[in-house]
Amino acid sequence: MLALDLLVNGLVFGLFYALMAVGLAMIFGVLKVVNFAHGEFYMVGAYTYVLVATRLGVPPWLALPMAAVAGAALGALVERLLMRPLYAGYGSWSIMKDEYAVVVTFGLSLLLINVVDKVVGPYPFRGPPLIETSRFALGPVMMNGQKLIAAGISIALLTGLALFIKRSLWGRQIQAVAQNRLGASLAGIDATRTTALIFAISGLLAALAGALLAPLINPSPDVGAFPAIKSYVIVVLGGMGSIWGAMVAALLLGVLESFFAVYVSYDYRDAFGLLILILVLIFRPQGLAGEKGREV
Amino acid sequence: MTGGAGNLWSNRLRTDFRAALAVVALLAVVPLFVQAPYTLGILVVSIYFALLALGWNLIAGFTGQFSLAPAAFAMLGAYATALLDFPLKAPLALGIPAAIVATALLGFALGRIVLRLKGPYVALTTLSFAEIARVVVYNSNAFTRGDQGLNVPSLMQSRVGYYYLFVAVLGATLVLLYLLMRGRAGRFWLAIRDDEIGAESRGINVVRYKTIAFALSCAICGLAGSLYGTFSQLVSPELGLLSQTGLVIAMVVIGGMGTLTGPVLGALLVYLASEWLREFGGIQLIVFSLAVIVFARFFRAGLWGIVARR
Amino acid sequence: MKRMSLLALAAAFAAAAAAAQEPIAIGISIAQSPPGSVVQGVQVKDGVEIVKDMINAKGGVLGRPIKLIYEDNQGVPEKGRAATEKLITRDKVVAVTGGHQSSVCLAEIEVAHRYEVPYVNTNCWSDDVRKKGYAEVFNPGNYNTRVSMAMAETIGAMKVKRVIAFAENTDYGIGQAKLLAEFVKTKAPGTDFKYETLDRAGKDFTPAVLALRANPPDMVVTMMLPPAAYIFMNQLYEQGVAPSAKTWFYDGAGIADYPDFWQNVKDAGKYMISFGLYHPQMPQPALGKEVAAEYTKRTKNEPNRLIFQAADSLLLIVEAIRQAKSTDPKAITKQLASMKFEGVRGAFQFSSAREPAYAYQQWVDIPYVNFQLTDVNQPVSKANLIQGPGQPLAVDKLQKPK
Repeated sequence: MLALDLLVNGLVFGLFYALMAVGLAMIFGVLKVVNFAHGEFYMVGAYTYVLVATRLGVPPWLALPMAAVAGAALGALVERLLMRPLYAGYGSWSIMKDEYAVVVTFGLSLLLINVVDKVVGPYPFRGPPLIETSRFALGPVMMNGQKLIAAGISIALLTGLALFIKRSLWGRQIQAVAQNRLGASLAGIDATRTTALIFAISGLLAALAGALLAPLINPSPDVGAFPAIKSYVIVVLGGMGSIWGAMVAALLLGVLESFFAVYVSYDYRDAFGLLILILVLIFRPQGLAGEKGREV
Repeated sequence: MTGGAGNLWSNRLRTDFRAALAVVALLAVVPLFVQAPYTLGILVVSIYFALLALGWNLIAGFTGQFSLAPAAFAMLGAYATALLDFPLKAPLALGIPAAIVATALLGFALGRIVLRLKGPYVALTTLSFAEIARVVVYNSNAFTRGDQGLNVPSLMQSRVGYYYLFVAVLGATLVLLYLLMRGRAGRFWLAIRDDEIGAESRGINVVRYKTIAFALSCAICGLAGSLYGTFSQLVSPELGLLSQTGLVIAMVVIGGMGTLTGPVLGALLVYLASEWLREFGGIQLIVFSLAVIVFARFFRAGLWGIVARR
Repeated sequence: MKRMSLLALAAAFAAAAAAAQEPIAIGISIAQSPPGSVVQGVQVKDGVEIVKDMINAKGGVLGRPIKLIYEDNQGVPEKGRAATEKLITRDKVVAVTGGHQSSVCLAEIEVAHRYEVPYVNTNCWSDDVRKKGYAEVFNPGNYNTRVSMAMAETIGAMKVKRVIAFAENTDYGIGQAKLLAEFVKTKAPGTDFKYETLDRAGKDFTPAVLALRANPPDMVVTMMLPPAAYIFMNQLYEQGVAPSAKTWFYDGAGIADYPDFWQNVKDAGKYMISFGLYHPQMPQPALGKEVAAEYTKRTKNEPNRLIFQAADSLLLIVEAIRQAKSTDPKAITKQLASMKFEGVRGAFQFSSAREPAYAYQQWVDIPYVNFQLTDVNQPVSKANLIQGPGQPLAVDKLQKPK
């Protein structure tokens, strides 16, 4: 049945979107800035996976965590070199904070895209799948082996992240810093190291998303634009800073897009999400779950 | 100079304006030495970017609204002119002013949409607006011929003539911006940028000035796009690509945000450098993005800022 | 063997002599970075490079070597315009060629026309390029009307009842789809034909495929280029829609011979029927076989029609220069319009007819084939040729998956 097929497809893609967007939601929750190079974390993860698996002959299951490590490292590096001035005691920065973050991450995005383009080449690659089954039936629905595994890993990661934030010590430190940076550091939490951790997690998740989807969406240097735009929509729809909101919004977006494509238009499917973003910001700025007020 | 901070600002602005005019004067004498149409063409494109840079600087550098839509408005202005020509055969004397009006109105509307938003929300909303505009233009094959683009007639055959037209428009834009910045509008915009709540509490009509800034900024971009369309005789959706906006932002950051000379200088330098760097096999974007990061991180005042501070 | 070494010796002398002369500059505008089709750009480059080396080894033309100047148009019309302008005004090329994406060609021919420099359209299929009627534009490659007519005939011969086509939302895709719809009305009157456009930058087409799954047609036609084409094919296969026992899969963009085709589609390409412009079983002049052998030597791949089209494009320009005994662009244009030419794909002459508009300065009877891939990783040479040039479709040769 078509509606069931679309629902399943929408949920599967929604899971992928969630994996992409959750990291961005975390960064926003803590730093109140948007990382415009988020898509490139995804891209770097995808390329790491593909290159390590095809050029170095590493088996795909091993290439996956390597991509994750690359993403985490990139995230930590970005935080250390570029984002630290925003909060580590550089007084005069507070007025132009947002502009700085946008400019510097925009520049980073351009840099990463072009470096990869020059070093690896502009051809799209095809990532080796984790499992060779390209199709099988799962009840009434047809599935692709890679999609199923990717969806499963996404669920595991997202659940793991939620538990980590809620239960673990570091997770609670993250929550504290997100709520009140000054207060948290007064309570003895190293806000800077926590922020570094958040960036690393964000990079890791985005990179894993890239690696998992590499066999389905052939990575090219500009492949990051696609997860980036989806992530912005999701983070706004879910409520900036809310991880739960982002997860729900991601699933919702996936399903809505699926139905929109068939019943309205194939061409405008990706633009549909952007329309949602604008409408949300006009009519329900706090999103589904976020804090009230768009004053940052 | 004696006097309070106000005098200091007007002095800085005046120096800034004079420097910008000097750059324009330099541009004006170039054809006396160089007549090669290709070189003049490159300069025309860099002036196109200078106009976009000035437009973006107005909304971002002076008014503090970080819009990601300048390239999209250039595209909209270009298409406004092209669409009037394509089915309606309207003369350019109608088409170009129509572009200004259309983009001013759309800019006004966009301004009202982002009125209550701050910081990254403005960036995200304008980004969505820009992308939607580009995708709609790209897919509306019946009206816009999609990726093929539309052909636009030229204003004149002479390359040198076109060059002077662009130089003149650049000069006029600078004069307009200077007069505005020198007066009340400029001070209000800066106040909104530096402390919006404080500005509101002091009685500044933030709504009105924000939307005026948007309208004017988008109109400048629209005019630039429209003129560029007649110059290249082709308008296509690529004019509105996000990477074009990225280039404009890079130019302003490197040149010096919040000034008049900075955007012009940045646009000329970045575009000319990119032409020169093409010889070395396409590393220009790597160089620029590095420059943007370095400038944003360490030299926030940009090139002009460094020079002006001496 | 002796003849070969004499030739080599003569070539060495001639090359040395030619090297002392001012080279003739010819402009090549191709996509070398996204969003253009980089794969196509590389193949065009390979083709012209082989011909350039062959010509320069024989001493060039008019005693001068030829030099190729490349510009990257990124598959974007605006950049193509700028690239062509640069090639003509700054690099002073005598002719421009290499164009392989229709919307870019359309922008570039305007510039060529304005400066009155000949433009040899290597691979832009859109009829609009011809319909403009510019004297400077020459089309030795395929055109949409040809493909659409051929595909409509195939659809008619296969007697399929319902066909759904997917075209990319570019000038090429939409143009071909519209023409196909027209021709199906006359060549396959019993067939119900519908087409949809898909975003060429899209990453997931599953909803479109799922809509088909609910009510599978008898044939799915695609007019899309990679990477969207590969993604779409994979998703068609994943959902079991096409190729399947119920539904044929017919590609009209000729992607089966791209070097990265099998690596990207794997099982999804088996049983695909393809419109093609080159098959090793087609008759081919000796020069063509020479270029084919050289290409395989250089790249370890089988050649495809892009290589030959690119080779012919450059050969046309060089031959026109030789016959006109001049490198003046206007003289080259004049020569191209009237000369008889034998290249790597056969002998032809550009039509000067203005009616129908797509025939203007086009190789109207360009040969084509239809073939079917019957196994994964199958090279085109081993594919099942179901229609040779000028022959009727051998419907009984077609295979369907179980």
